[in-house]
Amino acid sequence: MIRHFTIIIISYQLLASSCSTKIISNNYYQLQKETVDDIESRYEKLNALNPFAIAFTDKEFKIISIEMISDTLTRIYEFNIDEQRLADTLLKYNYDTAGIYYLIKKMQQTKVAWINSVDYYVNDQPQQLIYLSIKPITIRYLFSPPKYIALGYFRTAQSFDEKGRLLDNRRTKRIRKIKGQVFYKITDRICYTITEKYR
Amino acid sequence: MSIYYKFAFFLFLFLIFFVERIQAEYLFEGISSTKKEAIEFLEKIDQTKESTFWPNVKPKLFYDNLKLNLENPKSFYPGRSTNFCSYGALSYLVMEKDPLGYVKFMNDLYDKGEAVFNNNKFKPSKPVMQAAGTLKFKGVLDIRHAEQMWFLVLADKFKGYLNFFDKRYHEGDENTFWAATNLSKFNRMVSSMCGRHVKAVGSDLIKPWVKDVYSYLQKRIDSNITSLYINNRIIHKKNHDKIKFSIPTHFIILKQIRKENNMVTLRYWDYGGETEMQISNRTLKKIIFGIITIDK
Repeated sequence: MIRHFTIIIISYQLLASSCSTKIISNNYYQLQKETVDDIESRYEKLNALNPFAIAFTDKEFKIISIEMISDTLTRIYEFNIDEQRLADTLLKYNYDTAGIYYLIKKMQQTKVAWINSVDYYVNDQPQQLIYLSIKPITIRYLFSPPKYIALGYFRTAQSFDEKGRLLDNRRTKRIRKIKGQVFYKITDRICYTITEKYR
Repeated sequence: MSIYYKFAFFLFLFLIFFVERIQAEYLFEGISSTKKEAIEFLEKIDQTKESTFWPNVKPKLFYDNLKLNLENPKSFYPGRSTNFCSYGALSYLVMEKDPLGYVKFMNDLYDKGEAVFNNNKFKPSKPVMQAAGTLKFKGVLDIRHAEQMWFLVLADKFKGYLNFFDKRYHEGDENTFWAATNLSKFNRMVSSMCGRHVKAVGSDLIKPWVKDVYSYLQKRIDSNITSLYINNRIIHKKNHDKIKFSIPTHFIILKQIRKENNMVTLRYWDYGGETEMQISNRTLKKIIFGIITIDK
């Protein structure tokens, strides 16, 4: 009995390690650059007026979870994007309804599964970056985890090491991890990683 | 011989599945202080002194953080991507009852490298003392040096079976099993740190045997502080897979619960603020693994 169990475990380990998920396109960002950059800049403007975050929680990109953030309370609601309740809720809490609808449409078309603003500190001063993740077309095997391309948009130029890994700052060689992930350079201000979670 | 192995195996399963199922009651003598007393104490302290025990903790960030904790006890922020959520919920309870005790404890810890809180002696390990003040990219926790110290020493002191293979702190362990908390460890921490009457139903793997979760919570929320041990991955999805492990991952303090048209609205505290969320009755039942009621 224990021998069978061991064989099953070893088979699973081999299957999981040899058949990891593969992303079809290696230069996804370059191909979608204009649209993705547009999503980021639109989100940055809308978020500055009234903070929020959006996630597509289903594979078909029809259901969103929206986090509406105020100083005292974060409201989290889930809607089908065709539901009237979505517009009513955005209106009720003074969000730019048309602007957010446009953003949602663009996110849906480009398969951007999550967008939010992440705060961090440099020399004890607050900074922000926009974090978005894309669900690329992948080849998945049984038991292999999903893969997403996560992009980090900083407001200022960042430091990277010779392998293109994001560093804490110019003076140290300490690698900066965002949500436990090492990020790699695309431009001075934009970096990416491949991750199993979209947020 | 094999019968002994089988017996040991079943005994192990029994421990995991049932011993962690808590229906215990703890009764400790109450402790209490006021915010005013705590602020008066803090004002008398030299807030510029550096600590030899905590080389990376900046005095200004440390004392500013203590002030903030007193002015706004709900501001405790366990940090992004860490396993500090249970210590965050515990902080909420400590600050409700004994803010002076908290400030005195933190000041002693900063000055002497060790301190006592409600008969719990804390003598943190060297790696923890080195790490406080260095946690980065955790949101506002980056500049909250008192909270970094507090969460790290709690994780260093209280251990449960989830910490069995990772008992010593190494860099980055705030995100790993080193800092994880199971239900019985949480109850133990609350009862010994807060001196309160704690009652819990549920377990780490099996959901509580409660017929109507909504009514159960509704009955207790006014007379007790209610904490929930939930599977956060159902409500904060992180990938698009439909099959997910059903395990609890997060501790929250429940503030309000109401029901309209078969949708339940939860209002809870975690991560430095309150969140309001609408879920179905079915999802409510699905996410809750532990209900902890604590005397007010």
